[in-house]
Amino acid sequence: MTGVSPSVGALTAEFGSAILRTVVSCGDSIVYVMRERAHDVLAWLKNTPGQEFDYLTDITAVDYRDPERPLEVVYQLRSLGRKADLRVKIALDGSAPLDVDSVYDLWKGADWLEREVYDMFGVTFVGHPDLRRILMWETYGEGYPLRKDFPLRGHFSRAEQVRQALAANPEAQYSLEELSLAQAMHDLPADMTERLRRGERGLVP
Amino acid sequence: MVVTPPAGGVELSAVSPNWVTTRLDFLSNWARSNSLWPMPFGTACCAIEFMATAASRFDLARFGMERMSYSPRQADVLICAGRLPFKLAPVIRRIWDQMPQPKWSISMGACASTGGIFDNYAMVQGIDTIIPVDVYVPGCPPRPEGLVYGIMLLQKKIKGESFTDPDLRQEHLLDDVGMFLPPERVDELSEPFGNSIHQTRSG
Amino acid sequence: MLQAYIPLLLVVAFVVVNAVIMLGLSHWLSSSRPTGVKLQPYESGMPVLGDARERFSVKFYLVAMLFIIFDIEVVFLFPWAVAFNQLPAQSGLLLVAMLIFLAVLTAGFIYAWKRGALEWS
Repeated sequence: MTGVSPSVGALTAEFGSAILRTVVSCGDSIVYVMRERAHDVLAWLKNTPGQEFDYLTDITAVDYRDPERPLEVVYQLRSLGRKADLRVKIALDGSAPLDVDSVYDLWKGADWLEREVYDMFGVTFVGHPDLRRILMWETYGEGYPLRKDFPLRGHFSRAEQVRQALAANPEAQYSLEELSLAQAMHDLPADMTERLRRGERGLVP
Repeated sequence: MVVTPPAGGVELSAVSPNWVTTRLDFLSNWARSNSLWPMPFGTACCAIEFMATAASRFDLARFGMERMSYSPRQADVLICAGRLPFKLAPVIRRIWDQMPQPKWSISMGACASTGGIFDNYAMVQGIDTIIPVDVYVPGCPPRPEGLVYGIMLLQKKIKGESFTDPDLRQEHLLDDVGMFLPPERVDELSEPFGNSIHQTRSG
Repeated sequence: MLQAYIPLLLVVAFVVVNAVIMLGLSHWLSSSRPTGVKLQPYESGMPVLGDARERFSVKFYLVAMLFIIFDIEVVFLFPWAVAFNQLPAQSGLLLVAMLIFLAVLTAGFIYAWKRGALEWS
C-alpha cells in the first residue's frame, strides 16, 4: 500500500493479532485495534522511541448509518517531533457494553475529549477521573444525542425540554476537584456540599 | 405566569388618566425611550451584527444606547442576539428576572425568535418560551438597519405606555412547575415550520 | 459682611430643591416590583454560590494603622512650624520639644520595622 505510515508495520510486528486491519484513506493511515488491547497499543505508541505520538489531537466516535457497522471510537494521534499522524479506531459492536479504557493516564487532554464522547455517544471510559456530561447539562435525561437512533429534536416534547432546562442548576457543572481548587468548598452551604458529596448534581432543590 | 403586586403599596395605576398624568407619561416615556441602556445578551453571530450596529457607521449612540450594560441591574432592554441553547436557558431567565423595572426585551435574529435553522435537541425554539419579548427582529443575521428599525419600534411602543395602565410593569415570573408559558403554548410555538418539517432523523 | 453669604445660601437652596425634585420625581414615577430572584446577588445568571464575606489578610489593617499614626505625626508638625516661626525667642526650646516628640515616634518606627510590620508578603 502506498502512503501507509511506518508505525503500522511496527504495530503489527509488536502486537500481531490485536491489530485487526489497516486502511489508508486520503493519505491518512487508520489502524483498527481490539478493544481489550487498545490501551496497551496507545501506550506503546506514545512511549516507544521512534513512535512518540505525544500529542492527542482528538478523541471522537462515529455511529454509521448502516446498522451492521459497529460504533467506532476514533483516536487521532500526532507525533510533534516526527510530524507524523496516525488514526487508531476501536470498533465497539453491540455484543458487549460500550466500555473502553480511558487514556487519561497517557494524555491529560483526554479528560474533556472522553467526556464529550461519553455525552454524545454513551461510551463509558473506564478509569476516567470525572466522567460526566460536558455539552449537555448533567441531568440531561433524553439519552445520547449523536447516535443514529436519537431523533433530531430529542425524545421529549419541546415543553418538557424547556421545563427540564429551566430546572437544571447551571452551577452544578463544577466538579468537586474544581470546587476545592477554588477553595469554595467551605463556603458552600452545608446541604449543597452534602449533595455534591453524594454525587447528586444538577438538581434544583 | 405569575404577576407581582408593587412594593411599598403605592399603586400609581389607581389614578385615573387626566391631563397631568398624560404630561408625566410624555416626560417619562420620552426619557426612557431615548436612553434605553441595552444589555447585549449576545451568544452568536447576531452579536457581531449588534456590535456593527453600535459602531460608527450605524451608530446606536444616536439613540442613547451606546452605554452597554453587561450587568442586568443597570440595563433597560435585554437584546438577545444569537441562538440560545437549553443549557443557557436558566441563565437568561435569571438575568431577565434580575433586571429591575422598567424593562423590555428585543429578540434579535431568527434563532432568538424561533430557533432559526437550529431545530434540534439542544436549542431553545424561541426565547419567548422563556422570557416575555417585546420586539422580534427577523434576519439571519438582521442587517444593522433591521435592528435599528426594531429598536425604533420599541421606542414607539414605549412612547405609547401610560403609568395609569394596571397591566404595565408586571413581573411575569415562572409558575409553580417552573415554566413561563403553559406546555401547550410552548409546543405550539416550537412547532417546526418551513423546511424544518422535512428534517427528521430516525427515532 | 454676612450679605456676602447670601449667594451661597441661594446656591445651596437651589441644589437641595433640584435634588429633591429629581429624586422625588423618579421615585414617584418609577415602578418597584421586587421579587425573590431579583433581590439575589447578580452572578452572571447562576444561582448564588457562597457568601460574599471572605477573610482577608491582616496586613491591610497593619498598613492602615501605621499610616494613620505617622500621618498624624506629620499633621502635628504643621502647627509647630507656624509657632516656631512666630516665637523666635524660644526657638531652642521648641526645637528640643519637637525632637523629643519625633524621637518617641521614631523609636516606634524602628520597632515596627524590626518586627517585620513593613514586609508586605
